[in-house]
Amino acid sequence: MSNKDYFGFDWRGIPGTRFWRGPHLGRRVFFRHLTSAVSGYFLLPGGPMERVAHAAQAPKSTADFCIFVMMDGAPSHIDTFDLKTGPWTPEALNPQSYDGILWPQGLLPKLAEQMDAIALVRSVKPWATAHSLAQSWLQIARNPVSGQNRIAPHIGSVVSLELGSRTANQTLPGFLALNSGSGQGQGYLPAEHAPFYVSPNGAALRNTTHFDTKAIFDRRYALLLDMEQEQAGDPAFGSAAVEIGKWKEGASRLMYNADVTRVFTFDANERARYGNSSFGAACITARNLVRANMGTRFIQINVGGWDMHTNIYGGGLNASNANSLGRIFDAALGTLLADLKTEGLLDRTLVVAMGEFGRTLGNVNTASGRDHYQQQAVLMAGGGVRGGRALGATDERGGETVSPGWSRERDIRAEDIGATIYSALGIDWTTVRHDDPSGRGFEYTPNVRDDLYGPVHELWT
Amino acid sequence: MKWPAIGIGIGAMMLCGQGSPDNCSFQRDPRSFLDAELHTIREVHERTVRLAAKNGLRAASGTRHSPAGTLPRRNFIDEEILGRLEREGIAAAPLTTDAEFVRRIYIDLAGRLPAPVEYRDFLSDTNPVKRDALIDTLLFSQDYINRWSTWLADLVQNTRTAANVSQNVSGRNAMNDYLRQAVYRDKSFRDLAWELTTHSGNNYEIGSVNWSVRTITPGGPAQDRYDTAFVKLATTFLGLGHYDCLACHNGRCHLEQLSLWGGGTPRTEAFKMAAHFARLNITGRSVPNTDFYSGSFDISDRATGTYDLNTTYGNRPNRVRMGNVLNLTPEYRNGKAPAANQPWRQSFADNLTADPMFARNAVNRIWKQLFQLGLAEPLDNLDPDRLDVDNPPPAPWTFQTAHPLLLKKLSARFVESNYSLRETIRLLVSSTAYQLSSRYEEPWQIDYVPLYARHYARRMEAEEIHDNLGQASGNWTTYTPQGFVDTVRSAWRLPDPTEPGGAAGAFMATFLRGNRDTQPRRQDGSILQSLTLLNDTYIRDRIRLTSSPTLRDTAAFRDNDTVVEQLFLLYLGREPNSVERAKALAPFAKATTTALRNAAIEDLAWVLVNKVDFLIHY
Repeated sequence: MSNKDYFGFDWRGIPGTRFWRGPHLGRRVFFRHLTSAVSGYFLLPGGPMERVAHAAQAPKSTADFCIFVMMDGAPSHIDTFDLKTGPWTPEALNPQSYDGILWPQGLLPKLAEQMDAIALVRSVKPWATAHSLAQSWLQIARNPVSGQNRIAPHIGSVVSLELGSRTANQTLPGFLALNSGSGQGQGYLPAEHAPFYVSPNGAALRNTTHFDTKAIFDRRYALLLDMEQEQAGDPAFGSAAVEIGKWKEGASRLMYNADVTRVFTFDANERARYGNSSFGAACITARNLVRANMGTRFIQINVGGWDMHTNIYGGGLNASNANSLGRIFDAALGTLLADLKTEGLLDRTLVVAMGEFGRTLGNVNTASGRDHYQQQAVLMAGGGVRGGRALGATDERGGETVSPGWSRERDIRAEDIGATIYSALGIDWTTVRHDDPSGRGFEYTPNVRDDLYGPVHELWT
Repeated sequence: MKWPAIGIGIGAMMLCGQGSPDNCSFQRDPRSFLDAELHTIREVHERTVRLAAKNGLRAASGTRHSPAGTLPRRNFIDEEILGRLEREGIAAAPLTTDAEFVRRIYIDLAGRLPAPVEYRDFLSDTNPVKRDALIDTLLFSQDYINRWSTWLADLVQNTRTAANVSQNVSGRNAMNDYLRQAVYRDKSFRDLAWELTTHSGNNYEIGSVNWSVRTITPGGPAQDRYDTAFVKLATTFLGLGHYDCLACHNGRCHLEQLSLWGGGTPRTEAFKMAAHFARLNITGRSVPNTDFYSGSFDISDRATGTYDLNTTYGNRPNRVRMGNVLNLTPEYRNGKAPAANQPWRQSFADNLTADPMFARNAVNRIWKQLFQLGLAEPLDNLDPDRLDVDNPPPAPWTFQTAHPLLLKKLSARFVESNYSLRETIRLLVSSTAYQLSSRYEEPWQIDYVPLYARHYARRMEAEEIHDNLGQASGNWTTYTPQGFVDTVRSAWRLPDPTEPGGAAGAFMATFLRGNRDTQPRRQDGSILQSLTLLNDTYIRDRIRLTSSPTLRDTAAFRDNDTVVEQLFLLYLGREPNSVERAKALAPFAKATTTALRNAAIEDLAWVLVNKVDFLIHY
């Protein structure tokens, strides 16, 4: 990869030529910089980037989409993806072995039917057991506290940036975040790669129809366009006016658009198939997004409530209650995998479901719950990942990794999972961008020069 | 205005002169006894009156552009900015018209557009120094306290919950009170930094100690927290964010291309800086959940403790014994160590506030807020070795700012004004440089950017958009932020971006308020913003007569022309130009019934909300 930028200029050897003293940039580029509060983003098309490829490993490129299920609150790994049975295990969990993989069939029956597509990653160790810290860590695939990582984008924003240019139909944003409303953002990347928050409920996308009739909207919009002509080139506003016009255009593409509406609408039957839950609604929407292929490449679904410090088997993981969180989760995600498989979409869609850490082992605590624990397990499916197996193994209690199950021979970390997602989507995880505000270089995978982290390519073999 | 105060000042001087012949006060430089506020007012006032008498203050305004030599130089900022433009033969933008100025100054000092009555009052005022009069009025307004205490809260990142630790509602509100008091009383910025660095106590009681609470750094040894403590201070109050890099590794082989200073600074300097916080004690209160102090932290200084080079895990690379040295004691970057018996944090605070970077950093941040582009960028990564006008950096380096002398003068004035936020703002907004138009009709070149040949436009902040809509429609919502007794309605009164939640919170989140932690405030646009302005019910309720008292008042004007003008003033803070006026009036001409006329009013209100300059501060 050449170190020359868009203007054929190599910035690296020039002391102090960041920003204003650098080669003359276009006015638009300048304004993009100027209007950025983090005084940051000024990516040029084909801008300065480097790749630090240590091994002759190309990205797998076996997936076009990623559905990332964020199980906020941290599920008990020893009751779900790394099941360990004992006197505490309720009968209703119904542990069954699927080709040697122990699975709580009673709690997660629909997913059990998809075991041939599912790979359980059991040698995963979180860095922290504080919720928001570990959640942030996972979603930006690096430590959110130290160094320059405060400006780090969400994995989904990087995916949007990388794959946006390779996407023909860009009606919808590259990164949709379902059922959260806030969270890790686009970091220093431009706003078009920000998570586009939607809480789907079967109705059309919010604000894509006017609050008054379409006729009134058309009348108003015509007047707006007519009056806007006067200002489009007003020199007082610089290029900000042009950019606002661009957003308005993007917005109008979504409005009264039958294709868009189809993605976000579904009926009660569909909702029932997915278990009548908001998580189910998000899974339906995720399926529709993949099916429609209208520009969205990374879909995050947040499903909270896993912080089960009390009454775990009577509450959230009550296998006998179809409305417990475990069963709701299973009904929706199991149906999603089934639908994607039936439609032939699962092969090109990587599904990752995980919490921010795991929960304590053995007998439940005095409140019949489980507390925070620094070992966890991850469910992956589709997108070229070989299913029907577990990768890595923990000791008999689920407390420590005894077999990492991959070439680096250590616990799998959030950073490795980020690299795995990038690799699946055909993104070079060794990329270092040099458009970050500090000029330090933004690594898709941290410490890439030291090759500290990398994708779990064993998932493909 | 405070003109009588000048008289008193001069009177006092005369008396003083009579009383002590050794100290012949009336021969003293007025600067030595006028306080900074009067000093700034007086300097601008004298020049303005002189210029107005000579050729009319706004002779240049409205022209296409101005040779910089012809613009009024109202204080030393103009000597630097306009002087440089003149020397380089670059035309400056014209001076703002009164209409442009009143819109700009309200947004910058009050966080909202001028109301129509305020706009009209200002334009019809015949006082030759009415701009300075308005600046003075706004600087002492409630709006100013709201808006600039939010600026300060952004700077020190006060929020209920951060990724590393929660201050909780009580801690956040205590800090919020502290910051609002600081702006209200114009607390010396030096005292503010000193207090944040050194204060002890419980964070629910003592607002300022929430700063220290936020240094808690999970996932590592105590040294990580000491690092966070000094890196946050160095970044916020010195602009030396590169210490964050230096806390992990030497500058060599990392920072050479970015910072002349950073490239030559070793990790050990960061260790010794961090060591000032090795005795900072932070303990969580162990009380039942029902106790008021549950979730709070107590901050104090321990009598013992050092920064030990013995870590093997955490957020930073291992800290390894240097020869025989294991236990580091503090040393500031100027080589000073704490005096015996002096608490280490206090020693750091003394050095921090006396650091030449302290004033530079502060004025640079204030400048950025008002001019959109810092004198030196990026704000968090200043390079001390490339900012001192008296010590130019060696080739091939250049100064980090196009105006090193201005930076020096501003810093000196800042110190002289007892580190006054209010007086520094006054100084900046009184200058012609600030009052240049954002219009620039000559060919614009990128080289002009750091020279401020025009004023730079930016997108409105979320709070500005919120307040502008509230004021335009008269449909304010009152909020009761958690832990507040009274209600607030201006978004600038909210203690952090987690408030107020609900529709207004979602609306403002769309305009990227950030979270004062991992997500900074942003100026970007988005599809979501456009969809919101086009179609959201939040907008519906602010353009409909049934939910808007001001629109109902506006509808009561019989003259359509007045209605159109009023709507433009309400939503955009400006009058329509002739073409806009004609286009806006056309639907009114066809409105044969009251219902149709009301529909035309609502249509126009909606159009104005979606017009591009609704979002632009220019």
